[in-house]
Amino acid sequence: MGIEKLRRIDGTRMEVPVDYKAGMRVRGIIYVDEVLDDALENQSVEQVANVATLPGIVRASLAMPDIHTGYGFAIGGVAAFDIKEGIISPGGVGYDIN
Amino acid sequence: MGVLHSEIPSGVGSKGKIRLSPQDERRLLTSGARWAVENGYGEASDLERIESGGYIEGADPELISQKAYERGRAQQGTLGSGNHFLEIQYVDEIYDEKAAQALGLFRDQMTVMIHTGSRGFGHQVCTDFLEVMERAVSKYGIELPDKELACAPFNSPEARDYLAAMRAAANYAWANRQCIMHWAREAFLRVFAATPKDLGMGLIYDVAHNIAKVEDHIVDGKNMKLIVHRKGATRAFPPGHPELPAAYGKTGQPVLIPGDMGRASFVLIGTEKAMQETFGSTCHGAGRMMSRHQAIRRAKGRAIWREMEDKGIIVRSAGRETLAEEMPEAYKDITNVVDVVHNAGISRKVARLRPMGVIKG
Repeated sequence: MGIEKLRRIDGTRMEVPVDYKAGMRVRGIIYVDEVLDDALENQSVEQVANVATLPGIVRASLAMPDIHTGYGFAIGGVAAFDIKEGIISPGGVGYDIN
Repeated sequence: MGVLHSEIPSGVGSKGKIRLSPQDERRLLTSGARWAVENGYGEASDLERIESGGYIEGADPELISQKAYERGRAQQGTLGSGNHFLEIQYVDEIYDEKAAQALGLFRDQMTVMIHTGSRGFGHQVCTDFLEVMERAVSKYGIELPDKELACAPFNSPEARDYLAAMRAAANYAWANRQCIMHWAREAFLRVFAATPKDLGMGLIYDVAHNIAKVEDHIVDGKNMKLIVHRKGATRAFPPGHPELPAAYGKTGQPVLIPGDMGRASFVLIGTEKAMQETFGSTCHGAGRMMSRHQAIRRAKGRAIWREMEDKGIIVRSAGRETLAEEMPEAYKDITNVVDVVHNAGISRKVARLRPMGVIKG
């Protein structure tokens, strides 16, 4: 595990592949270019992968270029869940609500 | 700056000048910025320029703990500390003339940006429901790689309760910013001895960036109802989206991206590509690069306020530590962050704003 397992999709996106970690249901996508990818923290990438394991997650576990490590979910993260099979998590919103 | 600083309560655990009756409290938690406008804080026309009209339905004040009420009661209408701020800025660059015009932005214009949320109230709601969710995880047998991801099935009572309490906190935040904006306008009216019409301090937009919302999206060609979690991410809906106010229907949703206090902030607009790729979302700020602790260490022996003043930026802050935590070098360069979302096409740059005066908690 680690940042070296990430794959660059294009100039502005990196992929966290589904085989990055056991249990991932979708891939992770981090919006980051070559200027900012040095600032990526291992732990926040780990968090993007962790979120991808949650039930009902749709499309991908996403993160924006201002990504940094947060409580459970990375700050700068976007995750959408099917309301029929998915979950809701306070960590996906954070303490500073709204 | 002095008038703004004295009119707008700021700092850790700051107490406001609003005293809420229990009836007011309930109304505020269910109707957000609408409560504020009904009570004389701002104009009814502000509401259409706030995400979701300034309040979200389905908030339930009954689900709020006593402790959250206690923390929230005196903090309505306060800026708080940490990364929260009020800035006086000016527009120094326009990237999209047409969109800028639709938003009412032009070069050298003065703007005010307010960044704060639901204060101790929302913090307590999160704390309370993390406990509820930890129990839900074992009750529903959800396997997690990290216990901080505590959650519950969307259709469970635990999820329903959290959503209703989180919505109350979201409404608290919308009311909070509406009150602060009102006082900021009053301060300008007083200092410049002008009429509201002369000053033209209309709201451009108010947008959330830590929230979960039920939204309709198309995934693999199928219409789906999703619970979209945005944590440090901003909604960025495209032109033509039914949730946009008429004034921005053709332009797209304004997106406000605050940078650190020394560099810049940006106004962007939402795009169709964001709908296709990121559930209509984009970045929310510069993003920390140093922990608060590291920043405080790095600022030892320095006068951050003077460094800012040397750059022509006046800073008023209640706490020396806040300034150290918030010094520009603690953050990624906002320009790099915004360039990524612009180049990726998940939002588009409209204008850059430079800070002139900063109030920090």
